[in-house]
Amino acid sequence: MGFLAPWFLAGVAALGIPVYVHLLRHNVRPPRPVSSLMFFERGTQSSTRHRRLKHLLLLTLRCALILLVVLAFANPFLRRSSTSASGRLLLIALDRSFSMRAGTRFADAKQQALALLAAKAPAQKAQIIALGGQVEVLSQPLADQAQLRSAINGISPGDGHGDFGELARVVRSLTEEARTPGDLHVFSDMQRSAMPPNIVDATLPGNIRLFLHAVATAPGSPNWAIQTIEPPVELSDPKNPVRSRVRAVVTGFNTPAASKTVSLIVNGATIATRKVDVPANGRATLEFAPLPVAYGWSRCEVRVEAADGFPADDASLFAVQRSDPQRVLFVHAAGDNRSPLYFSNALDSAAQASYSVQSIVAEQTTDLDPSRYAFVVLSDTATLPSIFEHALAQYVQDGGGVLIALGPSSARSGHIPLWAGGIRTLRQDKADPMTVGQVDFSYPALEQPQPVRDEGGWDETKFLYSAVVAPGPARVAMRLSDGTPLLIDRPMGQGRVVLFASGFDNLTNDLPLHPVFVAFVDRAARYLSGTGEFGGSRLVDSFIQLRSGMQPVGQSTPAEVIDPDGHRPLSLSDARNLQSFRLQRVGFYRVRAANGHDFLIGVNPDRRESDLEPLSPNALALWAGTSGKQPGEAADTLTPGAEKQHVSLWWWMMLLALAATIAETVLASRYMGTQRDEL
Amino acid sequence: MEQRFLDPTVLAGISSLDLLAKTVVDGFVAGLHRSPDFGFSQEFAEYRAYVPGDDLRHVDWNLFARTERCYLKRYRGETNTQITILLDASNSMQYASGRVSKIDYARFLAASLFYLAIRRQRDAAGLIVFDDDVRGYIRPSTRPGQLARLFAGLERAEPRAKTDFTSALNHFQNFLHRRGIAIIISDFYEDPAAVVRAIEPLRFRGHEVVLFHVLDPQEIRPTLNSSAILIDLETDRRMEVIPEYAQTTYRAKIDAHIDALRTRARGCGIDYQLLATDQPLDAVLREYLYRRQAGN
Repeated sequence: MGFLAPWFLAGVAALGIPVYVHLLRHNVRPPRPVSSLMFFERGTQSSTRHRRLKHLLLLTLRCALILLVVLAFANPFLRRSSTSASGRLLLIALDRSFSMRAGTRFADAKQQALALLAAKAPAQKAQIIALGGQVEVLSQPLADQAQLRSAINGISPGDGHGDFGELARVVRSLTEEARTPGDLHVFSDMQRSAMPPNIVDATLPGNIRLFLHAVATAPGSPNWAIQTIEPPVELSDPKNPVRSRVRAVVTGFNTPAASKTVSLIVNGATIATRKVDVPANGRATLEFAPLPVAYGWSRCEVRVEAADGFPADDASLFAVQRSDPQRVLFVHAAGDNRSPLYFSNALDSAAQASYSVQSIVAEQTTDLDPSRYAFVVLSDTATLPSIFEHALAQYVQDGGGVLIALGPSSARSGHIPLWAGGIRTLRQDKADPMTVGQVDFSYPALEQPQPVRDEGGWDETKFLYSAVVAPGPARVAMRLSDGTPLLIDRPMGQGRVVLFASGFDNLTNDLPLHPVFVAFVDRAARYLSGTGEFGGSRLVDSFIQLRSGMQPVGQSTPAEVIDPDGHRPLSLSDARNLQSFRLQRVGFYRVRAANGHDFLIGVNPDRRESDLEPLSPNALALWAGTSGKQPGEAADTLTPGAEKQHVSLWWWMMLLALAATIAETVLASRYMGTQRDEL
Repeated sequence: MEQRFLDPTVLAGISSLDLLAKTVVDGFVAGLHRSPDFGFSQEFAEYRAYVPGDDLRHVDWNLFARTERCYLKRYRGETNTQITILLDASNSMQYASGRVSKIDYARFLAASLFYLAIRRQRDAAGLIVFDDDVRGYIRPSTRPGQLARLFAGLERAEPRAKTDFTSALNHFQNFLHRRGIAIIISDFYEDPAAVVRAIEPLRFRGHEVVLFHVLDPQEIRPTLNSSAILIDLETDRRMEVIPEYAQTTYRAKIDAHIDALRTRARGCGIDYQLLATDQPLDAVLREYLYRRQAGN
């Protein structure tokens, strides 16, 4: 026991006040009349007896009151182990990210977690958390060892990317609900890539103590992995040297310089093998060309013969569909020959898919059937034949995609086909052209994994002309520097309409002269045709869209997903209602979307998991908030909550002081009543 | 049959002395089963042989004529005796530890005796109120309205001054010409020898004297929780007294005082009765009259 503010104990001297009052109080009792003093004799009490402590119980209560108040201010506390309190919640987080598949990391981590659970006090509640691509809380706060042990045993290594920031966010939400102090024990390989760029994002609440149990404290073992691949999504001519090729990057983590063999495997057969020299801790790029695939979907992978301690990341999967080139209908104004030229050239230059552009003047579209085209482009077409416009609307409702570019003709008429609400006004300033001010790089047609500071190349484009269109509830993917919406995506039925508020003619802007135009056309084409949304390769824990959100729930065609094991993870209800699906495992997923499109997707782990380098001890100490304690020391502490904690007693003192006050009041009033009776 | 007595505090609630006296007297008389020998009247009691020195006026000459023997006729009472109550109205009589003060209790007692004498026995009754002097006098009489006058005299007897038996009893001689019964009601805070010495002349003049010694229970058995300053009601003198003295020495002294007064009074043929103000008045009166009837 101790005192947090011992200097307040000087107030004990105030105990002399009630003692003085009781000891030295004068006898102020009024005289008492008698008939005669005939038989009385004078008697005086001695000073000692006169000063006797009167009303000892009252004096005791008053002294106790002062003593308790003084003690409350001195703030006494008890030191006791939190085990005895068992009031702290034990949070056990077991890392099941992809990197835990390396060696015996996951088995070691699970064993340590079970050992910690066994050492738990019987009454202490615990909660199990699985840290993977998603942080999953597997149990409610429980004291039952059997249920908790079962929850830990039920955790298996996953393919996702662990993120300590996400773990901290979940723990914060848990403690906000329960407001119970707790100890978080993290069993992980403490991968450096799992820590968010800003360590503040991994900060835990103040009432949570962090204990780190690293299962791999040594520097990461050498590991070679396929870092990235750039395969075509669709291929029409395997002999085309421009399109029929796969570019792969082999990266070594904590590796010496070595010559590695990389193979291209298509449908289980090794098609080509390359030797590549990978520098120490560096990367090497290689290319497989051509890519001989048959018609239909092919399961392909690029594999490096690494012979390292982490073979799970030696291959990278992707799917390629060989088909005839898809046709694209490009509708333009009669006098505009520049737009189809720029657009078709850009589409031909794109390597991901193969399209053939059919350009036609708007007035000649009367007899065309849009459903025969992968998508339709309306370039500065103010008016369309009504039959074609209706066919086009039905085409979009059935899942088709339309890209609309607005030019001067559209501005003059003010009407936009398929777009409710016309052009409000026209922004035109040749002297001071506008630039792109805001780009949503998460939008599929603009997607860039790591955009650079110049807005991914969009910053250099100059816009002399732009129509101002009210976006309404549609998604604005790009804006000009003055805030004018430049690229708007509006879902309609199963399909979508993408509106570009300027033109492709190199007159209203200089976009066709910039490299970003090719990438934009390529991605927009794949997005509108639906090819890029599903095909190729994806990362674990990414989502695919099974149906459009505009369609009423339950009225669409059921979607179908077949996972790498050949199982159907969707229930009948999910197949009819689910809008998106999370790809949780490495392997090939076969997907049939609600609009009837059939795709094959190769799912790969996040390549950040291939870097097995653990966090430095200083970083771990900084995160745990124990700068003087090494992670190894923390890992040795397998008795949850064994250290001492201070339990403050000041409010107990205040409660007792209150009780003493009440008792003193009652007793004092009783004594005073007695004195009145004696009068 | 259980006898229920009247609590003095209940009597204190009765404002009319007439009603109070009637309540008391009718109560204890009804409980006595009607005794013809009961009362203050001097009725025939016995014959006693004459011895030299006896008053010749008490010789039954008729019997002497018939038998030539000289006998004295002893009377237990006379039919028209005279009762005079001497009420001490000094300041000490106003002391009260409870609801009934000593002067109130003395008034109740006197009123009851007046009622008994006048209404029951047709005797003459008078009142002398005194402290250090005679403050009020109502001549003994049996006239109509005498009882009311006596009650009015009792009402007027408010305590004041201090008691002085010597000077007061010197004046009694001037008022008590005819033999009778003199009842003195006081707290007798005086030397017993001085009290008896002052009263003895009444006895010598043929009066039958009765002393009713009225004390408060706190005067007989005082209780002090702590040392206290006591004030004499008659002299205003102050004195600090400790509880131990009040519980030991004082009690011994007051007991000795009571015993001395009783002994000296009875030694002089004076009847003595101690009354505490918490005793039921009818019970006390009945006990006393029983004892008087028995000749003790």
